[in-house]
Amino acid sequence: MHHLLVALLLAATGICPAAAAETAAAWGIEQLMQNLGQVKSARGKFVERKYLAILNAPLDSSGTLIYTAPGRLEKYTRLPKPETLVLDQDKLSIEYQDRNQRRTLALQDYPVIWAFVESIRSTLAGDLQTLHRFYRTSLEGSEEKWRLSLKPAEPKLQTVVKEIHLSGRGTRVRTIEIIEAEGDRSVMTITEDAP
Amino acid sequence: MTAYPSSRWAIAAWLAAVLVCVAVIARTQFSTDLSAFLPRSPTPVQQVLVEQLRDGVVSRLILIGIEGGAPAALAQTSTRLAAELRQQQENFAAINNGEETGLAKDREFFWNNRYLLSPAVSAGHFSSAALRVALEENLQLLGSPAGVMVRRILSNDPSGELLRLVDQFEGLARPGVQNGVWFSQDGKRALLVAQTRAAGYDIDAQERALALIRSAHSNAADASVRAGQNLLLSGPGVFAVSTRARIKADALRFSVIAITLVAALLLALYRSPRALLLGLLPVASGALAGIAAVSLGFGAVHGITLGFGVTLIGEAVDYAIYLFTQITPGATPDDTLARMWPTLRLGLLTSICGFGAMLLSGFPGLAQLGLFSIAGLVMAVAVTRYVLPVLLPPGFSVHTATGLAPQVASIVRRAPVLRYPLLLVTLLAVFFLAAQRGPIWSGELASLSPIAASDRLLDEQLRRDIGAPDVRHLVVINAPDQETALAASEKISVILQRSVQQRQMEGFESPAFYLPSLASQRTRQAALPEPAVLRENLHEAQHGLPFRPGLFEPFLRDAAAARAQSLLESASLQGTGLALKLDSLLVKRDSEGQAGWTAMLPLRGVTGSAAIGRDIARLANQQAELVDLKRESDALYQTYRREVITYSLLGAGAIVLLLLLSLRSPRRVLAVLAPLAAAVVITFSLLVLSGNPLSIFHLVGLLLVVAVGSNYALFFERQAESAGERERTLVSLLFANVTTMLGFGLLAFSKVPVLHAIGSTVGIGAILSLAFSAILITRAAGSTVSLP
Repeated sequence: MHHLLVALLLAATGICPAAAAETAAAWGIEQLMQNLGQVKSARGKFVERKYLAILNAPLDSSGTLIYTAPGRLEKYTRLPKPETLVLDQDKLSIEYQDRNQRRTLALQDYPVIWAFVESIRSTLAGDLQTLHRFYRTSLEGSEEKWRLSLKPAEPKLQTVVKEIHLSGRGTRVRTIEIIEAEGDRSVMTITEDAP
Repeated sequence: MTAYPSSRWAIAAWLAAVLVCVAVIARTQFSTDLSAFLPRSPTPVQQVLVEQLRDGVVSRLILIGIEGGAPAALAQTSTRLAAELRQQQENFAAINNGEETGLAKDREFFWNNRYLLSPAVSAGHFSSAALRVALEENLQLLGSPAGVMVRRILSNDPSGELLRLVDQFEGLARPGVQNGVWFSQDGKRALLVAQTRAAGYDIDAQERALALIRSAHSNAADASVRAGQNLLLSGPGVFAVSTRARIKADALRFSVIAITLVAALLLALYRSPRALLLGLLPVASGALAGIAAVSLGFGAVHGITLGFGVTLIGEAVDYAIYLFTQITPGATPDDTLARMWPTLRLGLLTSICGFGAMLLSGFPGLAQLGLFSIAGLVMAVAVTRYVLPVLLPPGFSVHTATGLAPQVASIVRRAPVLRYPLLLVTLLAVFFLAAQRGPIWSGELASLSPIAASDRLLDEQLRRDIGAPDVRHLVVINAPDQETALAASEKISVILQRSVQQRQMEGFESPAFYLPSLASQRTRQAALPEPAVLRENLHEAQHGLPFRPGLFEPFLRDAAAARAQSLLESASLQGTGLALKLDSLLVKRDSEGQAGWTAMLPLRGVTGSAAIGRDIARLANQQAELVDLKRESDALYQTYRREVITYSLLGAGAIVLLLLLSLRSPRRVLAVLAPLAAAVVITFSLLVLSGNPLSIFHLVGLLLVVAVGSNYALFFERQAESAGERERTLVSLLFANVTTMLGFGLLAFSKVPVLHAIGSTVGIGAILSLAFSAILITRAAGSTVSLP
């Protein structure tokens, strides 16, 4: 009886070792998303390598990535050619500085592109609902070192994308790997900017 | 009766006329085409607009919304409804709900014909240098998320023609897609667009189409899925159908009520069912003659003209009242008629002058009203003059008239007391009208629209949802043939492209996007190099780039095929949604000897219309014009309002001239006109005071006030032979006025703007004319009255 009361008290104050263990076990996709959702802005350098079947050499690019909550993602590619990509709400605009050319896409007209960009944006925004609109998710690892796998939910998207893996530490996304259905693959590594 | 043989001829002639009228009416087409109340257009551009309103593709669109329920359920209903309607190919040319099935054929068309369609394809476009640039761009594109888009088509289309074609449509508003079908932004409404095969003015066909949509909707989903779902329909055809229903209902309802009331009144007055029936003879014959005349003159009778028949009851019934009530006990109808005939005839001629002005109107609908009234009144007067006396029972006299006469006469005798107050009020009204700073007249064509405000709101909402806002600016090109029209469109497109770059507008559409001119297609075909040359160019361009060898074999195959492919014609688009698009942008005209083709290029988000207009005008020898639809249609309306005012003044002038010729005394003419003028001025002021902007229909109403009121004034002004005769005249005027009030006053309760406007104007104006005639004229004729 006395023993039980102590346990209850400890549980209520949250210092019971058993309760702490339970919290750790409860860390999952919801918790990860909630944590990510609290990030107001993030900035990093990226290096991306694409392996495409139609090319006989991988395609490399690098630049800066800026995320602003809740849904704006800017990708400034510096190499091999300058290119600015801005994802804001339901519009994706791409600008090629050297050609002075600009193209804006309404995402809903391009479901495949939408699915691609949403895998990154919704993850950064911690928007599980949007993520689930396109993907089934599975999470491995711990809060310190996690790996989120996305598999497309719709059969139509499955013919294009096989899987997407995002890995990170805490609220930082470190790598994004996209494996397409026909074998094309791309890996993006993001390193934190010096403040 | 001494005139017996001639009377027999009168009856025979009347019966024959009625038979002819009935025969004509039996073959008459009744229309409710609303564009009859749109002006006949003076310029070719405006002609195009009105034609488009009548039977253009836009007039065939039915916007459908399904709301109430979960998105998944709405989407399911949308899909099934679309599938069901797509089966009805004889009624619907196209059903679009955003499903892929509808778009696949369009994409196929663009893909298969990209080398003929792309404006970029020109000499040098496939040189090794140009291809090198294109390949480098592709390489860059592959690195971006948009790369998914090009990866699959790159080997067929390395020069990026499909992307260029897609770019042309960039910015075209489209509804959002949810669960695979179109949805409104808020996700509460699934959206569909149906295009009927029948023209928008074919209201029967539109009504059938609407019924099909409704029944398809109730078959489309299980009751459980459909529960709580609401079907919303809008569009020109929907408006036409509902307006016709309203006009029909109003015309029928008001005719029945008016006839009942008038009949009850006359029965109380005449105390003889036979006289009552006889009293309705001129009206009935007049209505038949009116319909027959309009049918012969215009080929069809408009529903609103029929509704106007109600007003004829009000006016034509007067003639019988004048005759019956003024028969002195003991006298024969012929004697009475002989006495009143000059006044009756003059009243008829005055009315004809008034309605004649409407006959000249540019609105076919108003001209119909004019002809209907003239034919109807002539017939009614003729029946009163030649047929009624023969049919009246011998010794017929209205006793009520004798009973009422002294009271009426005593009121009338005291009426002149109000002469100065009336003068004052009239002057005040004149000042009031002169002091009006704000616009008295509605300046918008929409003021004639018979569409209820709530319907228009729903339409706006659905249009916004669907991303099909009303086009305001468009470039109209007239050309003798299709090829010239398309070539001109291409030329104009170059200018418009520049305007887009200079941010004078967001974008535009051109028929040449879907069907380039044959000349352009040939030039593009000629720009494709021979296969061996192209292979060599490509080989050179690829040097040092990481593309897999042999990757572009499909491109070489496609390019070779495109060199030999047959050129595109309108028929090539058949089966795609683009055919409709082309039909709406490129129209064949064969009206009034102006056969030719018209191309229309709608502009989006125009901010610099002046600059664009100048650029287009600078292109010499081009029959192209930038049209601001809103300004154009409002200008059109204002032109016609001026026209109606001019004709009204002409009508008024004709009335004055007629009175001068018949009365031969400026003083008498003044006596007749003074009460009419006062009635018009005060009625006008009351309408302005009521706060509604006045439309052309109110002006027509004022014209009618003059036509009806002149009868009163003339009878008042007439020199009576005895006090008894004068009293009877007064009573007949009173009853005539009450019936007119019933006929027109009822129309004021109609929700159809034209009927409401004319009804309220004439209702007020008629009673004022009579009162003012009593006030202003009695003294002028007073000396005669006081004589025994």
